[in-house]
Amino acid sequence: MLEIEDLHASVQGKEILKGLSLKVGAGEVHAIMGPNGAGKSTTSYALAGRDGYDVTSGQVRFKGEDLLALKPEERAAKGIFLAFQYPLEIPGVSTLNFLKTAVNAQAKLRGEPVLDAVQFLRVVREAAKLLNVSEEMLKRPLNVGFSGGEKKRNEVLQMALLKPALAILDETDSGLDIDALKLVAEGVNALRAPDRSFLVITHYQRLLDYIVPDFVHILADGRIVRSGDKSLALRLEEQGYDALIGKAA
Amino acid sequence: MSGMSETTSLNRLLDRMAAYERDTVPWLGALREEARTIFAGSGLPTRRIEAWKYSDLSRALAHTPEGTSPARPAPVLPGAHLAVFKNGVLDEAQSTIAEIGAVPLRQVLADPATPFANKIGQVNPQKNHVLLNLNTALMEDGIVVHVPAHTKLTAPLYLRYEWEGEEARIPDGRHLRILILLDEGAEATLVESHTGTPGFSTIVNEVRLATGARLTHVRLDRLGTASRQSAITLGELASAAHYDGFYLSEGGRFSRHEALLELTEKDAQAQLDGIFLVADGRHCDNTTVITHAGPETASRQSFRGVLAGDSRGVYQGCIRVRPDAQMTDARQMSRTLLLSRQAEIAIKPELEILADNVKCSHGATAGELDSAALFFLRARGIPEAEARALLVEGFLSEVLEAIESESLRACVAAAVSDWLTIHSGEISHVE
Repeated sequence: MLEIEDLHASVQGKEILKGLSLKVGAGEVHAIMGPNGAGKSTTSYALAGRDGYDVTSGQVRFKGEDLLALKPEERAAKGIFLAFQYPLEIPGVSTLNFLKTAVNAQAKLRGEPVLDAVQFLRVVREAAKLLNVSEEMLKRPLNVGFSGGEKKRNEVLQMALLKPALAILDETDSGLDIDALKLVAEGVNALRAPDRSFLVITHYQRLLDYIVPDFVHILADGRIVRSGDKSLALRLEEQGYDALIGKAA
Repeated sequence: MSGMSETTSLNRLLDRMAAYERDTVPWLGALREEARTIFAGSGLPTRRIEAWKYSDLSRALAHTPEGTSPARPAPVLPGAHLAVFKNGVLDEAQSTIAEIGAVPLRQVLADPATPFANKIGQVNPQKNHVLLNLNTALMEDGIVVHVPAHTKLTAPLYLRYEWEGEEARIPDGRHLRILILLDEGAEATLVESHTGTPGFSTIVNEVRLATGARLTHVRLDRLGTASRQSAITLGELASAAHYDGFYLSEGGRFSRHEALLELTEKDAQAQLDGIFLVADGRHCDNTTVITHAGPETASRQSFRGVLAGDSRGVYQGCIRVRPDAQMTDARQMSRTLLLSRQAEIAIKPELEILADNVKCSHGATAGELDSAALFFLRARGIPEAEARALLVEGFLSEVLEAIESESLRACVAAAVSDWLTIHSGEISHVE
């Protein structure tokens, strides 16, 4: 599904990723854990194609294709979904209008038929109900005045509608209390499928109690220094980053 | 050569003013004389006058502007009381304003004993306002509307200004005056549509709102690229009167609208919202002066601009609070999106507060589209051009919410969406 090979990336001329390599197979859930400044957000933005996150060397192949040659919208249409750590507020654009525009834009980019208003409404309502996203929230401008939990549920709703092949969750747990976290994790777990992979990027082990990974990687100073199964996350919680990163060095 | 080769010179204007003054009834002669005398001393406004620093009318009038643009369609308002002005002249055959007792200005100006003699030129007077004096000295056409106490006009009063051909470009310009008097508790909606290309025109609205009267005023200024127009809305609001204005403007070679309102008595309220959409090297000036004279008066202003290409926008908003206007609540906000590096906006908020117990605030922003929001939309699969259009639309749609009437909101929204479609290339363009 996703092959990252010796990825180097810079932000404002400063090298953040220094040879990141990672393979994610279809249907797998990988967690990337790391301390502040390790390059967690840079990894997610570089994969999604944000301007200002410059890949200086290395390769990323997604379903066998060179991902780095694509614009952000093309990556999305190919099946990459980035759940934002801080979802953006878009005043004046209703959540519903945004969802429809996104779903249909991706369909167009893939050469698939677009949904009409009635079909779309039915699909949205069904997905929204499962995530406890109210009709009123759908009418409000996107994320404007939403609580942290509402914003993240809205992200999962987008994921459910866009049906990505690879979902990157960038510190999805930040700003969530335990109830909101559970609800979001349930939403994500409901979307787990044999042809859908997840890259769960997080600082804390807590999220991984709810979204249980197949593999755990520790990111430090721009590269992966240790990999293991879910027990690695538990050891990290017990011993701290310093101990485990130190051992690897 | 056509009349276009003659420029609008000060001497020509003064000659015409003197002629108008001679050939008129006494009450108007006196009004015109005073205006002409002050205008003769000041001349046309130049950038040396602070209020005209960002809008150079003298220069705009010195050269005949080039370029033509197809006239935009005027909105259709079924059931409205209509006044059609063709090239600045009231077209009575097409107008239906007689049904509400509105009187053509020509008729009022020719009447030595008109009851409106002491009403014209009396609303929030601005003795030294150059353009107002020019208009007073040369006004010819317009209408006078008087809505009696506790009368509610359910259909809007619709002023449709259309400018077309050589007639639209006579060198001395066309100067119109609209007088609107709402007696106690009266309610009305005034809609203006401006289309085509006036060579030079001034339009002055005088709006007097008695106790508890309410006026909703929607201006749709969609003039052509070569148009030169300066408009003023003068208002006086008595106790608990409401003025609710929405101004859409696409600018022109010279385009200015000034809202000069005085909240004279307790509880008077004014709300001004505006959208300016400027492209093709056009100029667009929104100027407001809200004077809080009575206690517990309130004003709200929210203006949003989108500037493309090498266009120039101006927003000058002045809030004056007189010593007796305690408990004034005045807020002002302007936000501008600059779609190109060549576009310019001049923003000048001014507060003059002479009372000690007031709430006043102002804020202004100007900048490009938010790159984080743009990336968010693109990361959801929305192509960049479409994402930019969506953000611009969202930016403007917030202000449209201020228009209470659904049908009028739809009219303004259609004009906005029209502009966004015409300029979609500049909106989606990435520098």
